[in-house]
Amino acid sequence: MITHDVVVIGGGLSGLRCAIELHERGVDVAIVSKVPLIRSHSGAAQGGINASIGSDDSWESHAFDTVKGSDYLADQDTVEILCKEAPDRVLEMEHWGTNFSRKDDGTIAQRPFGGAGFPRTCYAGDRTGHNILHTLHERILRAGIKVYREWLVTRLVIEDDRCLGFVAMDLLNSELEVFKTKATVLATGGYGRIYQKSTNAIINKGFGISLAYRAGVPLQDMEFVQFHPTTLWGTNILITEGARGEGGYLYNKDHERFMKDYASSSMELAPRDIVARSIQQEIDEGRAFPGGYVHLDITHLGKDLIEERLGGIRQICIDFAGIDPVEEPIPVQPGQHYSMGGISSNKDGATPASGLYAVGECACISVHGANRLGGNSLLDTVVFGRRAGVHAADYVTSLGETSDDPLTQALDSEKTAISEMMGNDGESYSSISEELKRTMQENVGVFREKKELEKAVEDVKKLEARARSLKVRTEAREFNLELLNAIELKGMLDLAHVIALGALVREESRGAHYRTDFLERDDKNWLKHTLAYLTPEGPRLEYKDVNITIFQPQRRTY
Amino acid sequence: MIKLKIRRQDGENVWYDLFEVEDRPGMNLLEALFYVQEKLDGSLTFRYSCRGAVCGSCGMLINRVPRLACKTQVSDLRKEPTNEGNPEVLITNKKTETDNDEILIEPLPNLDVIRDLVVDMDPFYSLLESVRPWLEMKNDIPEKENIMDQETQVKLEQYTNCILCAICHGSCPVAERDRKYYGPAALAKAWRFDLDPRENEENRKERLEIVDSESGVWGCDTVYKCVAVCPKKVAPTLGINELRNRIDTNKKKEE
Repeated sequence: MITHDVVVIGGGLSGLRCAIELHERGVDVAIVSKVPLIRSHSGAAQGGINASIGSDDSWESHAFDTVKGSDYLADQDTVEILCKEAPDRVLEMEHWGTNFSRKDDGTIAQRPFGGAGFPRTCYAGDRTGHNILHTLHERILRAGIKVYREWLVTRLVIEDDRCLGFVAMDLLNSELEVFKTKATVLATGGYGRIYQKSTNAIINKGFGISLAYRAGVPLQDMEFVQFHPTTLWGTNILITEGARGEGGYLYNKDHERFMKDYASSSMELAPRDIVARSIQQEIDEGRAFPGGYVHLDITHLGKDLIEERLGGIRQICIDFAGIDPVEEPIPVQPGQHYSMGGISSNKDGATPASGLYAVGECACISVHGANRLGGNSLLDTVVFGRRAGVHAADYVTSLGETSDDPLTQALDSEKTAISEMMGNDGESYSSISEELKRTMQENVGVFREKKELEKAVEDVKKLEARARSLKVRTEAREFNLELLNAIELKGMLDLAHVIALGALVREESRGAHYRTDFLERDDKNWLKHTLAYLTPEGPRLEYKDVNITIFQPQRRTY
Repeated sequence: MIKLKIRRQDGENVWYDLFEVEDRPGMNLLEALFYVQEKLDGSLTFRYSCRGAVCGSCGMLINRVPRLACKTQVSDLRKEPTNEGNPEVLITNKKTETDNDEILIEPLPNLDVIRDLVVDMDPFYSLLESVRPWLEMKNDIPEKENIMDQETQVKLEQYTNCILCAICHGSCPVAERDRKYYGPAALAKAWRFDLDPRENEENRKERLEIVDSESGVWGCDTVYKCVAVCPKKVAPTLGINELRNRIDTNKKKEE
């Protein structure tokens, strides 16, 4: 049995920021990550991190943009925290060494982003996530924090609503081990890979979210899935919103700047849900290029500016599409990008189970509501990652000893469950996972309607039944990819079920959840958060009120 | 169809397997490896994460050139010889006029193999840690951000672009013969912090003392292989040369 006061699961931005806070407060903290720290998907974030550090800007203005962007589903008390703490967190990253791009006067540069009334997105070229991730990693090395590198957590142990630790597998040798903790922090990121077309890293399967769900913790607002408007056609690698922030245009095949028909005032810088729907509509109505894409044109920005501020996406286009955006437009289409929903947690990252925290994309705090603004996710990770660290440090000082029995029992039953997965005569994970991705892509996408959503729920149920006879044929102990993927597949099915069912039941259109059979937002019936609990029959849905303080819901136009 | 000839290893057992993969336009080598792993042989193992050349997980030896699998297009590899039998780690490959339907895939050199294409990265990460790769900050931290001119920011950027993929390490002749050599990635990182105007003088000095050694900048053969293979254009050797100059200049000042 491995013992630490606190273990942070996940090595992306929110997890690292949380671990640093705990360490600085003198807590015995360790990190468990299924990939080496710097391989986390946070490193792929391009465009930037929002903070109202400009002299004419204010946290109130940032908060208003965030709430309006969320289509009024965000909790305004947590949004207030997000926006008030933003400048401190960004300046802290600068002090720790992040190589932010600079203005002429040497201060941190800021660029316009979608849905924002002020250019408040601080950036490091178009590699902002990479820069912040490496800065935090350097900070972890400096602190000498223990890292369990390449371990997959397979089960949380929660007894009487209190988290006692978890079972994890060392991917190096497939051995299971149990961790005893006073507090556990989930910082495991999103689930993009349950869709065919996603900007997410291949590792993003949402397994951490399902760990909490399986342990009885509710998932919140999972039907709100962000589709990024501009992903590179073919591979769906992200092409940053910064490309439009710096002045890029979107054109259909008739060379029309079609955004004039959808958001005549904000044009290309409308929020992501609106731009994604606009592009999808152009595709669906035959005004896109064959194969289903539109053009993102930045050629008029000139080579120097592109190299200086968008060098990363230029290289991506050259390497992955054989196109130089200095010379020709980029073919783009919408793709799954981010999860607004996640493990239900509060302003300190605390979930309903004592000693269990959730931060970053795996959590729903809820600062993004029904649609996240670009530049707010990196901010979310460092603000609430730190806050969870502060809270957990305090929490663990007041705890007494607990029995080890539930932990050893969990280890034994997990060992049995995994050995039962080994064999030659059952379903293989890859065919189930391919079918899951297909049904989510086709039926729970940018535009949704009842029949398709019902089909998705039915499909997922059938796949869940098939997954019960899933077998792993590979017996090798070291980095057994087949075993890893088979374990994670069941989590992917859990999340798909919750997302599809939540989307089917929510009969309105709000933010990224757009129902072609219920076109309007319905505040009377649906200004509320979805909570999904696991039952033997599947998800049970409950609802809770949205926290509204300053900004009363208004019609959302751009 | 394209054939992947993959070096397999399980404990002491080493062998090569040949897999036929149905390729398609735009397919990169990482996707081809997944095709093998999911459809032909579930036991194959390799590292991956972002598939967009930003995470640095999938460095391997492709036709004897160390590269990121995700960033390498199968269609380009069709126009290359496999260089099978050549013991050298190459830095570029020739282009052929005719199609070559085979790709040779081996683990990243200079690190021990755990299984198949997965190598033990622990030594690489430990060497990195040796050079104190972090900023200590000065004592008078400003209330707002540190002011930094754009020129310095751009200079730093070349080195902060490093993704620690260890491809440079796999190409380095010094790393091959001296496992204590910090290596191009760690030394490039040392230069990145030396260059940073926000760095505390004491930490800068301590780091310079660490790299002022045969395990450090004086161990480098200055053959620029790391510069040639870096997928992010980081240029470690230039950083090593700068560190050498910095050390020499400081010594002259002391004299």
